Amino acid sequence: MEFFERFAIPHPSPAIYASMVAIALVTIGIIAGLTYFKKWGYLWREWLTTVDHKKIGIMYLISALLMLFRGGVDAIMMRAQLSVPDAELLDAQHYNEIFTTHGVVMIIFMAMPFIFAFMNLLVPLQIGARDVAFPRLNALSFWLFFAGAMLFNISFVIGGSPDAGWTSYFPLAGNDFSQHVGTNYYMIAIQISGIGSLMTGINMCTTILKMRAPGMTLMKMPMFTWSAFIANLIIVFAFPVLTVALLMGTTDRLFATNFFTSDNGGMDMLWANFFWIWGHPEVYILILPAFGLYSEIIPTFSRRNLYGYKPMVWSMVLISFLSFLVWTHHFFTMGQGALTNSIFSITTMAIAVPTGVKIFNWLFTMYKGKIRFTVPMLYSVAFIPLFTVGGVTGVMLAMSAADYQYHNTMFLVAHFHNTIIPGVVFAMLAGLTYYWPKFFGFMLNEKIGKWAFWSLTIGFVLAFFPMYITGLDGQARRMYTYSEATGFGPLNMVSFIGAAIMAIGFVLILWNVFYSFKNSSREIGSDPWDARSLEWATHTPIPEYNFARLPHVNSSEAFWDAKMNGHQLFRGEYEEIHMPSSSGVPFIMGMIFFVAGFSFVFSLWIPAVIALLGIFFCMALRSFEKDDGYHISVEEIKETERKLGGAK
Amino acid sequence: MKIDHSQPLEYSTHQNQLNILGFWIFLGAEIMLFGTLFMGYFTLEGRTGAGPTPAQIFEITPVLIETFVLLTSSFTIGLGIHAMRLGRKNAMLSFFAITLLLGLVFLGVEIYEFMHYYHVGATYQTSAFTAALLTTLGTHGAHVTLGLFWGLFIILQVKKRGLTPQTANKSFIFSLYWHFLDVVWIFIFSFIYLKGMM
Amino acid sequence: MKELFPAKQVMGFVASLVLTLIALLVVFTDMSYTAGMTILLVTAFIQATLQLVVFMHAGETEDGWAIYSNILFGIVIVVLSVLGTLLILLWDM
Repeated sequence: MEFFERFAIPHPSPAIYASMVAIALVTIGIIAGLTYFKKWGYLWREWLTTVDHKKIGIMYLISALLMLFRGGVDAIMMRAQLSVPDAELLDAQHYNEIFTTHGVVMIIFMAMPFIFAFMNLLVPLQIGARDVAFPRLNALSFWLFFAGAMLFNISFVIGGSPDAGWTSYFPLAGNDFSQHVGTNYYMIAIQISGIGSLMTGINMCTTILKMRAPGMTLMKMPMFTWSAFIANLIIVFAFPVLTVALLMGTTDRLFATNFFTSDNGGMDMLWANFFWIWGHPEVYILILPAFGLYSEIIPTFSRRNLYGYKPMVWSMVLISFLSFLVWTHHFFTMGQGALTNSIFSITTMAIAVPTGVKIFNWLFTMYKGKIRFTVPMLYSVAFIPLFTVGGVTGVMLAMSAADYQYHNTMFLVAHFHNTIIPGVVFAMLAGLTYYWPKFFGFMLNEKIGKWAFWSLTIGFVLAFFPMYITGLDGQARRMYTYSEATGFGPLNMVSFIGAAIMAIGFVLILWNVFYSFKNSSREIGSDPWDARSLEWATHTPIPEYNFARLPHVNSSEAFWDAKMNGHQLFRGEYEEIHMPSSSGVPFIMGMIFFVAGFSFVFSLWIPAVIALLGIFFCMALRSFEKDDGYHISVEEIKETERKLGGAK
Repeated sequence: MKIDHSQPLEYSTHQNQLNILGFWIFLGAEIMLFGTLFMGYFTLEGRTGAGPTPAQIFEITPVLIETFVLLTSSFTIGLGIHAMRLGRKNAMLSFFAITLLLGLVFLGVEIYEFMHYYHVGATYQTSAFTAALLTTLGTHGAHVTLGLFWGLFIILQVKKRGLTPQTANKSFIFSLYWHFLDVVWIFIFSFIYLKGMM
Repeated sequence: MKELFPAKQVMGFVASLVLTLIALLVVFTDMSYTAGMTILLVTAFIQATLQLVVFMHAGETEDGWAIYSNILFGIVIVVLSVLGTLLILLWDM
C-alpha cells in the first residue's frame, strides 16, 4: 500500500472527488461508445495515425477548445471566490492550485494549440502546398502536445496540482516550499509539449521557406502565413531556453542539484531570467498569428486590399528581433540596478511602435471600405480599441520606476488579460467562425454568433476593467481573499458578473456549433465569404491533396485577383501526386512520452528508463524505415475532382 | 520521387532539400539551447558554495585530448562527405568509421573526466557551479552519444542500400550534426576550460 | 588517394589546429584577463565560422541565404541574451 500512497491527493476536497468520478465516468463512456458503434478502427485509421495537416489541425482545434473550458472553469472558480470579501468557497491551497493551472492551461495548452490549429489548417493551403515539409514530424508534434496536456491535467486527481503559479518562481517551486509532486507535473508536462512546439516551429519554417507555389515570392505570401512564419521563427529560438530551464528545474526537484536553490551557490533569480527569456517571445508567438488572422478577416469584410503590406511585414520582422530584448520588464523589482531597468524600459517602449503601425494599418484597411459586420468582423473591430487599451497599459507598466507601484497587483492581471483576450482569444474565435465553413462544410449561425460576441465583449469589459482600479488601489494578485475594510468588494463582484457573462458567451459558441450542425445549409460552395487568399480556391470539402494542380501566383491576394481580373490560377495537365503515408509511430511515441513523464513525476525509475528506451527504439526504427509514401494516379484525381464539382 | 541529376545526390530530391534546410533550422535551435546552458554556466561559475572552484578541478591533459580528437573527427567526417560526393562508397564508409571511433575515444575521456570530478568532490549536487558545469558538458556528451548510434545506423544503411538519394541525404545531415558538435565543443573548450584555468 | 584529401579541407583542419594552439596561449602564458578573453573570443568565433563555411558547406545552395540568416539570427540573439543575463544577474545586481 505504501507504494500507492504517493498517488494520493495531499489536499482533497469534495469537488476533486467529484471530478475523479466524472473523469472515470467520461472515460468509460467514451470507451463504451467507441466499442458500441464499432469506431475503433475508424479512429485509428483516420485520426490517430493521420499525417494530414488538415486533420492534425482539427485535432489541435478540439484539444484547444477542451482546454479552454478547463481553464475557463478555473477562472470562474477564482472570480467566484473573490466576488465577496472573506469568502470561503476555496481555501488558500486550492486557490493557489487553481490560478497556477489556469495560467498554464490557458497559455500552453489552450492558446498554443489554438494557433497551431490555424497554422496547420491554413499555412499549406495559403502557400499552395500539399502538406507541411515533414508530415510525420507534424503528427509527432501534435501527440507530444497531447501527451503533455493530458499529463498536466491528470495532476489534480493523481498526486496533486502544481501550486507555485504559472511562472513557478524558485525558491517557491523548489523542494523546500513545494513538497508534493505538483510542480514536477509542471516541469515535465510543459517540457514534453514544449518539445512538440519546437518541432512544429522547425517544420513550419521549412514549409514556408521551401514549399510555396510557383510565383509566390516571400513578399507575395498572405499575411497570415507571414505571421505564422515569424511566430515559428521565434518558437525555434525561444523554446530551447524553456527546455533548458525546465531541465534544470527538474533536476533541482528530482536530483537535488543546486541551480535555483537558496544554498550551495544556487540562484533563484536565474529561473526568473530564463523563464522570461522564453516567456516574453512566447507572448509574441501567441499574438502574431492572431494579428495574421485579423489581417485576413479585415480585408475580406472591408472588400479592400490590406493597407500597407510591406510595413506589416517589416513590423513583424522587427518584433521578432525586439521580442528577445525586453524580458527584464517582467521583473523590474527583482533588484537589478537602474541602468539595466532603464535599458529594458526603452526596448519595451520601442516594441510598442511596430505594434502601433499594425493597428493603423488595419484602420486604414477599413477606411472607405464596404464593411460587412459579420461575426468574424465584429471580433476584429472590437479587438482594435480593446487591444489598444491593453497596449497602452502595457506602456505604463514598461516604465520601470512606475512599475514598483503596479507590479504584482490586479492592474497587471487586467493588463495582460486585456491583451490576451481581445488579442488572441477574439482572433481565435473570429478565425474559428471565419474558417469553419472551409473545414466543416457549413456556416455557423450568425445570430447566435452575434449573441456570443456581445456576451464575450461586454463580459470582458465588466470582468477586467474594474481590476485596473482595484489594482491601483492595491489589491494584490494571487491573494485568495481580502477583508471588507479594503473596499474591494463591489468591484470584484462586478468582475465576477462579467466572468459569468463571458461563460454564457462560451456556452453560446458551443450551442452554435450544435445548432448549426443540425440546421445550416450544406450548399455553401467553396467561397462563402467572398474571400481573397488561396485557401478558398480549392474545393469544400478539401481533397486530401489540397490542390489537384498547383496554383500559379502573382500577387499577395491571388484568389481575389483571379476572381476580379480573370487570372488563371490553375493551369496545365494533371500529374500524379505524391502523398506521405500514415503512421502509428507518432501516436505510440506520444503515449510512451506520457508514460515516461508520469514515471519521472513520481520518481519511478524503472518504468522511466524503460519508456526512454522505448523512445530511442522508435527513433531508431524511423532511421531504418524505408518509406516513400504513395502516389495518387491521374485517373483518381480526375474522379475526385469530378465528384467535387469539376476543376476550376 | 523526381530525381534531379544536376545536383549532388544529397540534394537531388525536393524532400532531400527540405530535410537539409529543416536540419539547419534545428541547428539554429541548438545554438540557442547551448547558448542558454552557457548563460547558466557564466552566471553560476563563481557560485561554488562549499565546493571546489573551476581552477581547482580542471585538468588540461584530458581536455586537450578531447579537443584534438573531436577536431580530427570533424575533419574526417568532412572527408567522408567529400568521398561520398566522388561516389567512393568504401572510402566514405572508412572515414565515417574513423569519425565514430574518434567520437568513442572522446566519450571515453569525458567519462574519465567525470569520474575524476566525482573523486575530487565535484558531484552533481555539490554546488551551483558543478551542476551548471556537468549539465553543460553532459548535454554535449549526450549529443555525442546519440550521434554515435545515429552514425552507426547510417553506416549500416549505406553498406546495405548503397549510395542512394536517401542514404546520401542522411549521411550529409549527420555530418552537419557532427560538425556542429565540434563547434559547440570549441566554445566549451574556450569559455569553460581555458577561461577557468586562465 | 590524393583526391580524397581536398586542399580546402586540409587547410581548414590545419587552421583549426593552429587556432586551438593560439587559444592555449592564454593558459600557458601570463596575460591579463581582458587580453585572454579577447584572444578566446576571436579564436572561437573564427573557428566556428571555419567549420560553418569550409566543412558544413552552409552557402552552397540557393537556400544559403536562409541558412546564413538563420544562424546569424541565432548567434545575435544568443550573444545579446548572454550579455543581458550577465548584466542583470552579475554586473548590475
